[in-house]
Amino acid sequence: MGQSHERKAMTKISSTSLGRRTFLSDMGMGFTGLALGSLLAEEASAQGERSGIPHRVPKAKSVIWLFMAGGVSHMEGFDPKPELNRYGGKTLADTSLKDVYSDPFVQENFRPFIGDNERSFRKKIFPLQIGHRKRGESGAEVSDWWPHVGECVDDIAVVRSMWTTDNDHGAQLQFHTGRHISDGYFPTIGSWVHYGLGTLNENLPQFVVMGNPIGECCGGTQVHLANYLGAEHDGVMLSASDPLPFGKPAGLVYRQEQAANFDLVRRLNGLTAVEYPEDAAVRARIKSYELGFRMQMSVPDIFDTKSETQQTLDSYGDGFGRQLLAARRFVERGVRFVQVYHGGGGAGSWDAHTNLKTNHERNCKAVDKPIATLLKDLKQRGLLDETLVVWATEFGRTPGSEGETGRDHHPFGFSCWLAGGGIKRGVVHGATDELGILAVENRHYVTDIHATVLHQLGLDSRALEVPGRKRLDIDHGHPIHDIIA
Amino acid sequence: MMKQTLMVLCIMFFSTVDLPAESRVDYRTEVKPLLKTKCFACHSALKQKLKLRLDAASLILKGSRRGPVIVAGNASESLLIQKITATDLSQRMPPEGEGEPLSADQITLLKRWIDQGARMPDEAIPSAPTEHWSFQQPVRTFIASSGNPIDYFLTEQLAPLGIQPVEAADRAVLLRRITFDLTGLPPTRSQLKAFLSDDSPRAYERVVDQLLARPEYGERWGRHWMDVWRYSDWAGFGKEIRYSQKHIWRWRDWIVDSLNADKGYDQMIVEMLAADERYPGDEDKLRATGFLARNWYKFDRNVWLDDVIEHTGKAFLGMTFKCARCHDHKYDPISQSEYYQLRTIFEPYDVRTDRVPGQVDVDKDGLARIFDARPDALTYLFQRGDPKLFDKQQPQNPDVPDVLGGTFQIEPVVLQLEDYYPAIRDFVTRDLLMKADDSLAAAEEALLKVRTTSDAENPDHVIILTEKKRDLAQARREEVKARIEAEQAKYRRSDVSDLPDDEQLASQASRLEKQATVAEADVALASAKSQLQQALVAAQETPGDKTSKAVDASKAKVKTAEERLVKATESAAQESTSYQTLGPLYPPSSTGRRLALAKWIIDPGNSLTARVAANHIWLRHFGRALVEQVDDFGLRTTQPVLIKLLDYLAIELMEKNWSMKHLHRLIVTSRAYRMSSSVPLGNTPAREKDRDNTLFWRQNSRRMEAEAVRDAILYVSASLERRMGGPEVDHMQGMTVPRRSLYFRHARERQMEFLRLFDAANPRECYDRDESIRPQQVFALINSPLTLAQSRKLAGRLTEQLKSIKQPLDNFGDDGFVRAAFETVLSRSPVTSELDECRRFLTLQARQLGDTEKLDLLGETSNSVAADSDPHQRARENLILVLFNHNDFVTLR
Repeated sequence: MGQSHERKAMTKISSTSLGRRTFLSDMGMGFTGLALGSLLAEEASAQGERSGIPHRVPKAKSVIWLFMAGGVSHMEGFDPKPELNRYGGKTLADTSLKDVYSDPFVQENFRPFIGDNERSFRKKIFPLQIGHRKRGESGAEVSDWWPHVGECVDDIAVVRSMWTTDNDHGAQLQFHTGRHISDGYFPTIGSWVHYGLGTLNENLPQFVVMGNPIGECCGGTQVHLANYLGAEHDGVMLSASDPLPFGKPAGLVYRQEQAANFDLVRRLNGLTAVEYPEDAAVRARIKSYELGFRMQMSVPDIFDTKSETQQTLDSYGDGFGRQLLAARRFVERGVRFVQVYHGGGGAGSWDAHTNLKTNHERNCKAVDKPIATLLKDLKQRGLLDETLVVWATEFGRTPGSEGETGRDHHPFGFSCWLAGGGIKRGVVHGATDELGILAVENRHYVTDIHATVLHQLGLDSRALEVPGRKRLDIDHGHPIHDIIA
Repeated sequence: MMKQTLMVLCIMFFSTVDLPAESRVDYRTEVKPLLKTKCFACHSALKQKLKLRLDAASLILKGSRRGPVIVAGNASESLLIQKITATDLSQRMPPEGEGEPLSADQITLLKRWIDQGARMPDEAIPSAPTEHWSFQQPVRTFIASSGNPIDYFLTEQLAPLGIQPVEAADRAVLLRRITFDLTGLPPTRSQLKAFLSDDSPRAYERVVDQLLARPEYGERWGRHWMDVWRYSDWAGFGKEIRYSQKHIWRWRDWIVDSLNADKGYDQMIVEMLAADERYPGDEDKLRATGFLARNWYKFDRNVWLDDVIEHTGKAFLGMTFKCARCHDHKYDPISQSEYYQLRTIFEPYDVRTDRVPGQVDVDKDGLARIFDARPDALTYLFQRGDPKLFDKQQPQNPDVPDVLGGTFQIEPVVLQLEDYYPAIRDFVTRDLLMKADDSLAAAEEALLKVRTTSDAENPDHVIILTEKKRDLAQARREEVKARIEAEQAKYRRSDVSDLPDDEQLASQASRLEKQATVAEADVALASAKSQLQQALVAAQETPGDKTSKAVDASKAKVKTAEERLVKATESAAQESTSYQTLGPLYPPSSTGRRLALAKWIIDPGNSLTARVAANHIWLRHFGRALVEQVDDFGLRTTQPVLIKLLDYLAIELMEKNWSMKHLHRLIVTSRAYRMSSSVPLGNTPAREKDRDNTLFWRQNSRRMEAEAVRDAILYVSASLERRMGGPEVDHMQGMTVPRRSLYFRHARERQMEFLRLFDAANPRECYDRDESIRPQQVFALINSPLTLAQSRKLAGRLTEQLKSIKQPLDNFGDDGFVRAAFETVLSRSPVTSELDECRRFLTLQARQLGDTEKLDLLGETSNSVAADSDPHQRARENLILVLFNHNDFVTLR
C-alpha cells in the first residue's frame, strides 16, 4: 500500500502546527523574525494550533505502548476458555454457539482484507494448549505462558472484549490508526499524543519507536507516522544497537564551532520559512534541527546503561528487554509516547497458523519476564502512577483449529491490557462468549483504547481535530470508563 | 456500529404492527449482508455464474439464465430457496468446497423475506468490473489549442473552478529543478550564469535538449526505474547467496545504457522478460533479464515465483495479481486460476551465470541471466495458496487474465548451440586454454626456481613435488585441449571436417582427462610424501608424543594417496569415450511463454502498460502522480480527474515509438512544469478548492531523493568521479568513494546508511519513495565524513578561485565567497539578509576559532580532509557545511 503520496502532499501543503516553542525569539532575527513570527501566529490561530495544554487534568504523563505483532491468542493469554477443552475435537455445530457467525455483529463489522470468508470461521474446536490459573488477589485468570506478567495482575486492567474489522495483518495498522488498511493511512495514536501534548524534555523526541519494524504488508512505517498531522509528529525510530548514526562529527570539530553552525542553519532556514510561508516542510526541518542538536547528547545517554545495576540489567534481559529498559529511561526523562514492537516484520512473529504451542511458548518466553520487570521497575520508582502501559496485539486467534496445530486470525473478540497512569488495578473488563469467539459484553473497538489513552493524558480527541480532516465517531472511540480509576 | 444495528432492529420490532406474529425481514440489514457473504463471490459484478447477479434489487428480480430465482410471496416456489436447501450436493448452493451451506436460521430468514413479498428498495447497479476505466483503451482528445496539450488539459479542469495557475518559477529555481530532474545533479555556476543571461526565447528548450543528451540522464532515470523494477544486488549470509544474484550490476548498466540510447519502453519490456527467447545470442540484451534473475530466492521457489507475478503485474500493468494467489481477487476480476495460469508462464524459468570474456570463474565475474530450465514443469493451482494442497490431475495452462483482453500467443523457441551450450563459444574455449597455459607457465617457473636455489633450502622431496605439479599443469592443458577438440568435433562437425573422427577424439579426450587425474593423484602422493619427510625431520629434532603422532598421520596420508594413485592408474588403463563437458548444457529450446507475455504487455491494445509508465514519469516530474496509487490501477482506484491528460501522455508514448525522452520533453516544456511551487498568501480560490494541488495549479516542492542529495554534495565539491557502470561498490565505502550513489551495493541489509536515512528505495518494493523529515538526517548532513570532507574541499577550491580572479576585496573577500558558495551549492545568489547573516557568521566563527583553547573538542575521529589551520578559512568551511544543511539544498523548489 503505497499511499505515501498522500502523506507527501500533506507534508507539502497542510499547515502543520508549529508547536509551542517560540523558536523565533531564540533566533534574534530582527524584522524578519517578527515577520515570520506574526505569520506563524496568524497561521496557528487559523489552524487552531494546539497550545500543548491538556483539555482536562491529566492522570498520566507518558505512555509505553507494547505491541505484539502477528496476533496473540487470547484464550491462551488473558482470557482462558476451559470450555474449549470440553469440546476439543468436536465442531462448532456441537456447541450452543453453532450459529455464532450469523450474529449481526459479525455480519456488520467484519471486513476481511482478503475474500476468504472461511478463514476466521474455523469450526473444529481446538483445545487449550497451556494451563491457566487464578492469579493475584484479584483472581484474574491468566495462562501459564504468562507467569511473570501474571504476578503483576493486581496492577493490570484486562480488557477481554476487543474487536477489530480486518482479519488480516493490516489490522496492525488499524490498531494504531483506527482505520482498516484499505481506507489508507491516517495519523497514529502516538502522533496524536505528540500533536496534542507539550514536551516535558526538549532534548528528546516525544514519540519514540523501538523494536522490529512492522512489515510492509501490514502498514510498515505508517504504523508510527503522523500522516496529515505533519512529519514533525512522526514517531522517531531508534535502534538500541545504533541509536544515532553519525551522532558525532567525523572529524575534529569543536562543540562551540558546531553550535555556531547549527545556529546559522536555523537563521538561514528561518529566512526561507519567511520566503515560503506555505511550505510546511521547511518548518518541520527547522524543528528537526532543533531536536537533532539536543538529541546528540541525550539519545546516546538513554542507551548507555552504565548507571543501571547488574540486577536490573539481568532482570530486563537482552533484546526486547533492553528496549523496555530504554523505554523506562525515556519516560523517566519525560518522553510522552514510547512505542515498542515485538515480532514485527512479515505478518508478525506471533502469527501461529501452525504449531501454536511452540510459537507462543517461544514468544511468551521472550516478552513475559521483561514486561513484568518493566511494570515492577516503574512501580518501584513511583513512575507507574504517571506512566500508562498498554499491551496490545492486532487480533486474537480462532478458537477453532487451523490444520492440526494452529489457530487462524480472529478479529471478533480478543484481549489487551492496560496498567498504571490512573487505570484501575486488578480488574477484568468485558467478556467473550464461553468459547472465546465473540466479544459479548462491553465490546470495544480499537479506538476505545486510543480514547482511553488520550483521556488519561488529559486530552479530548474531538478537540484535537484538524480543520478539513473530518473524523468519524468511530475514529475517536470512547474512553473505557469502567477501567479508569 | 453495534448500537446502530440494535436501534434499527428495535424500530423494526415496534413498527411492524401489521405483522404482529413475526417481524418483517429487512432487506438492507438482514438479507443483503447474507447474500453478500454467501453468494456475491459468484453472483455479483465480479462474476456472474449462469448470468445471475444478486447485488442489486433489479438484478435479483431478473434472475438467471434459467429464469427468475425468486417468486415473491412464495418461498417454496423460488429457485433460490430450492438451491440453498438442496440435499443433492451437486445441486446445492453455495457449492461444496466453495462455501459453507446456509444455516437453518439463515434459510428461514430468506424464506420469510420472500414469503413477505421480497421487498427491496431501488438500488443502483454496481458496474461490471470489465467496465472499469483502466481496462478501456486510452482515448486521444483532439485539441484545437496550439500550446502544450498538458496545459490545455489542466486548464480545462482549473478554469471552471476559477483557479489561476501560479506564475512561472524564478529562472534560477527552474534551472536547478530541470537539471536535477533530468540528471540528478545541480547546474554548475557557469551553467547558471549562462542561463540567466540567455534572453533567447528557446533558451530553456535548449537546456532541456542538452540535459537529455547527457549520460547522467541515464543514471538519474536509471535509478528511478531501478526502484520500480526492484533492483537488488545479491544478499545472503556470509558468502551464501540467498537473494538475487551476483553480477546483477550488468542489468543496472543495461538500464542506464538503454535509457541513454532512448530505447523504446516496449523494447525494454521485451528484453527484460524474454531477451533469452527473443535475442538468445545477444549478451548485451541478455543483461536485461536481471529483472527476473533478481527474484532468485534460495529457500522457496514458491515465494520466488509469487514475487515475480506480483511485481511483473505491479511494475508493467499496475495490477495487484498477488491477491489472487489464495482465492479469487477480492476487488479485481482476476480469478485464482488465472493467477496460476500466469505462474505457468514463469514456471520453467531459472537463473544461470554464463561466462564472460577474460574470466572463466563465474564466481568472480559472469552474466547472471535467465533461461527456461524446465520447459516441461507443470503448474498446479494451490488451494488457498497452500503449496501442499493441489490436484495433480489438473495442471494449469499458460495464459493471461481475460479481463485485460488482447491476444496471448505462444511460439516455442529453438535455440542455437552456443545458446544452450555457452561454454563452446570461441571466447570461452580460448579463455580455458589460456588459463591452462598460464597455469603451466606458472608451474614451469616455480620448478625453475626450486631447481636453481640451494639444495639445503629445497630438499629432493620438494623438487619432486614441484616437478609433479608441473606435470599436472601439462596434463591439464593437454586434456582441456583434447576435450575442446572433441566437443567441437561433436557439435560442429562441418567446421572441422578434415580432423580425425569424433570417436577417436572422444577417446583421446577421455584418455587425457584420466591421465590428468593420474597426475593429480601423483601430486597428492608427492605432497603427502613431502609432508612425511618434514614430519620425520621435526620428530628427529624435537622427539615427543606430538611429533611422532604427526609422523603417523603423515604416513596414513601417504598410504591413502598411494591407494588413490593406484585407482586412478587402473581407471586410466580402461578404454572409454566419456569425459567432462566444457561447461553446463542447458535445454535446447525455450517455451516462448515469456516472450508471448511481453508481446501481450506491449501490445497497443493493452490499456494499462502505457498509462502506468506515463504515470510513473509524471510522478517523478511533479512529485505527485496522476493516478496516485501508482502500482494499482485496479477497481479500488477510481478514474483520475485528469484522465484525458493521462491518456494523452500514454498515447504519445506509444505513438512516438515508446520514447521516454519524448515524454520527458513534452512534460518539462509545459507551462505547468515551469510554474513556481510557492503560493502567494491569501485565500485564493486554489487554496479553497484544491488545497492539496491535485490539479497542478502550481508545482510541488520536493525533498530530493537520497542519491541526489549525496551525489550533489560530491558534485558541487568537484569530487564526483564520472566513471559509469561496473561492479557494485561496497556500500560501506559510501562516505569515501566518490562514485555516484546508484553504483553502490543496494540490497536488503546491505545498503548505505546515509542513503537509508534519506528514504532510499526499499529493494523489496518501492514504487513511490517516501519523503521523510527526521532528526537523524540532521546528523548525516552535519556530522558525516562525507559532508565534513567535501565542505572543506569546496571551501578551499572557492577561496583559490577568488584569489585567481582578483575580485575587489569587499569585506576581506567574504562577500564574494558567500556569493560563490550560494551559487555553487544552492544554485542561486544570496539575498541581502542571507548575505548579512553569513558575513556575521564568518566573522564570529573565525574569531571563535582563533582561540581554540577556550573550545571543547566534540568529534572523536579525524577526517580524510583536515580542517584548515587558518581560522578564517575554517569558518568558510563551516559555511559550506551549513549550506549542505540548508533546507533548500535537499529541496527542489
